[in-house]
Amino acid sequence: MNKNYDVVITGGGAVGAACAYFLSREKDLKVALVDFKKPGNASRASAGGLWAIGESVGLGCGVIFFKTLSKQMNEAKENGGELPPLRPHQLPDFFFDFALTSNNMFPSLHEELREKHNIDFKFEETGLKFVMYDEHDRAYADQIASGIPHLSDQVKWLNADELREEEPYVTPEAIGAMNFTCDHQVSPFLLIDSYTEAARQNGVDLYLNTMVTGVETQGNRVVGVRTDKGTISCNTMINAGGAWASQLCEWATGHTIPVYPVKGQIVLSEKLPKIMRGCISTSDCYIAQKDNGEVLIGSTTEEKGYDTTNTLPELKGLAQGASKCLPILKEMNIKRTWAGLRPGTRDEIPILGPMDGIEGYINACGHFRTGILCSAITGTLINEIVRGKETTLDLKPFLYDPKRFEDLEPPFYG
Amino acid sequence: MSTKNQQVIIVGGGAAGISAAAQLAEFGISSKIIDEATKLGGVVYRGPLRHTEELPHLDEFYQKSQKSLQDKYHNNKDKIDVQLETSVIGPDGANGLILSDQKSLSSLNYDYLILSTGCHERSVPFPGWTLPGVMMMGGVQLQIKSGLVRPGEKMALCGTGPLLPLIACQLHKAGVEVEGVYEASSFTRLAKEAVALLNKPMLTLNGLSMMSYLKRNNVPFHYGWGIVKAEGKEAVEEITVAPYDKEWKADLSKARTAKLDSIGIGYGFVARTQITQLLNLEHEYSYQSSYVPRLSGNQRSSKDNVYVAGDTSGILGSDGAAFEGQIAALDIALRMGAIDAATHASRTNKARKGLQRVRNFRFGFDRFSERQLGMLDLPDDDTVICRCENVKKSQIDAAFERGVKDITSLKMATRAGLGDCQGKICSAYCYDRFKQAGHAERMGQLRARFPVEPISFAMMED
Repeated sequence: MNKNYDVVITGGGAVGAACAYFLSREKDLKVALVDFKKPGNASRASAGGLWAIGESVGLGCGVIFFKTLSKQMNEAKENGGELPPLRPHQLPDFFFDFALTSNNMFPSLHEELREKHNIDFKFEETGLKFVMYDEHDRAYADQIASGIPHLSDQVKWLNADELREEEPYVTPEAIGAMNFTCDHQVSPFLLIDSYTEAARQNGVDLYLNTMVTGVETQGNRVVGVRTDKGTISCNTMINAGGAWASQLCEWATGHTIPVYPVKGQIVLSEKLPKIMRGCISTSDCYIAQKDNGEVLIGSTTEEKGYDTTNTLPELKGLAQGASKCLPILKEMNIKRTWAGLRPGTRDEIPILGPMDGIEGYINACGHFRTGILCSAITGTLINEIVRGKETTLDLKPFLYDPKRFEDLEPPFYG
Repeated sequence: MSTKNQQVIIVGGGAAGISAAAQLAEFGISSKIIDEATKLGGVVYRGPLRHTEELPHLDEFYQKSQKSLQDKYHNNKDKIDVQLETSVIGPDGANGLILSDQKSLSSLNYDYLILSTGCHERSVPFPGWTLPGVMMMGGVQLQIKSGLVRPGEKMALCGTGPLLPLIACQLHKAGVEVEGVYEASSFTRLAKEAVALLNKPMLTLNGLSMMSYLKRNNVPFHYGWGIVKAEGKEAVEEITVAPYDKEWKADLSKARTAKLDSIGIGYGFVARTQITQLLNLEHEYSYQSSYVPRLSGNQRSSKDNVYVAGDTSGILGSDGAAFEGQIAALDIALRMGAIDAATHASRTNKARKGLQRVRNFRFGFDRFSERQLGMLDLPDDDTVICRCENVKKSQIDAAFERGVKDITSLKMATRAGLGDCQGKICSAYCYDRFKQAGHAERMGQLRARFPVEPISFAMMED
């Protein structure tokens, strides 16, 4: 391993692989991608939803939070108490821009990877429907809609009949749905595979099944990445370490960054005929039928360190939530379950770009629950940073700054 | 805690599980056996699933062993609680199991756990291997032993090891026309193991008598031959066999065909480790048995109160399994204070000696039957490797060409191993491909997932 690379990317999940692909498009840089599949690797565990609006307003993965809130409200009402204020969990505008810009890239990216590199990551236009069961759900949906007036053309309301028309297997108990028409899905495995394979075809060296064990520095400059198979020299290291990014950053810079694992458990059905036209979020879970017919149900939000065990009460919660929405599932089988580790940050915003006072080091981490969705824009931005170009979006809110995380309440999941 | 109330759970009521339970009972310790079948005995000794007066196709040697295992259970019945038709589908917390009886889920806690879940058959893909009528040899045997049906009218057996002559005899006695038996290894390799085989003189004699039975009845036995492909419209109608060289590469210039209606394929077994994996026990790669739990001398796993016995800890057959079950039980008895150290030592030593004899014998056969990677060339580009996900050999090849070096990446790139069987069928081939490419040491393991077998959504309702 005596090669010297312009760029070494540590981490081959959706974000690392996207960086490798976007950096390799012009075929002028020497790029290496180092990857080791650790248990809980989030890209592999992912549902593959491109829920740009859904995730930004706290649906999709955010629903477990809402469920707790909804329960509190019902209890308060039963006890004649005062209702706590409805406050959907909405991320700042710059994150909407970030997520939507990435989302808009997928149709052409899909075509490009298919035509140039012959891999189809199964991009499907599905929409994401928030299925409502009662007045609380509707009030919550109203709050969401009023929080995103500039996106009203992407929000379509369905009454009970219209919902039944579009999703005949959804329970008749549902009173309607709010559909985010621009939120779609991909096969997460194939997305990573297509980024990686396209990068390889463009000349990126893949160091697969290779574990990073340290980072070589000279003064304040990163000069190489140590692995269990030897050291790889580089001018720039890109930290795409997912839930393990903080350790990589510490090796490279001497500082940790507040990226930590947030466990999500997932339930998967056996392959079924098509029972869903679009992806669904309820107040219990999200549900997506993948291209091969499997119905994927997620996901819990737990801080349990690097633990990836599945626990029955949580799995039951997800399975029951899905059966409530799609009663036909009660006649179907669960094939497998697993847990992934999202790279969480306290403000739920990724950490991107260089670090003050450190040369040859770039963060591409902390994507929490939107790594698949935001991989395309992240790859684009990182490529621009490496080449010293003006960035497509303002990088400032994404840069690592200790002040970003000061005074933040602990997150809702505990 | 009083040791009296300590719960010993045994998963799998085959030779290992029953021997363990009987050994515990001898020292006054109660245990509970969980088994997925309708009868105890495991795949080898379960016997017919319906009533029958006699079993003329099964030899006396087998019937004696079966009786002796049944007696072990019957003589200790009052100390052995048995829960049949129940599968363990995953762990529940630190010291619990989740059980499924196909209708509902339940939890069961243990203080000590013995996992004796046995093995499953090693799949060897070749063109036509998914045609109806192409069966694994253990499955063939189960049909004659438990189902009491003839698997076919005219059959051939291809594979390696001591099961070949045994099943050939059973088939012949059951009235099946056995076209031929094709043993992949050469006779010279078997001759080299003569000394090892004398560790079990009775078994060896038994084997010799089976060989002479086949000869007497004009069933041809071909050393150094193996399967090439199976063909047929709706089901297998014809097979092609050819001489195998030392690497088990088929010499197609000498291939010949045979018309028949079914075929038994048996190139060995793989430890059944879905539960040991879900319990997060440490595992190590074994070329012979695939991944197996790492054990200490007394069958203790990396988790202090969990023991593994029988083929789950490496393929050794039912005689070895019985000794391993006994050794695990003795260790538990000692830890529960039911026996003193001296009794433990002398009984364990005796069992270990027995186990060693089995191993010496078995290892002779294992060396003779050691799988050679030339067989990996048998599948065509279009041969399905992962049956659940319909992954073809060409897709596996493409992933290797792209530089995949570990099983997880292979799974993600091709979906091999992501189906209902969780890779039980395709993993053996995939691991061998990594071995062939020089990546065996770091290829990683295709991890089992909860639930080990599919469960219905309805079972997840409260």
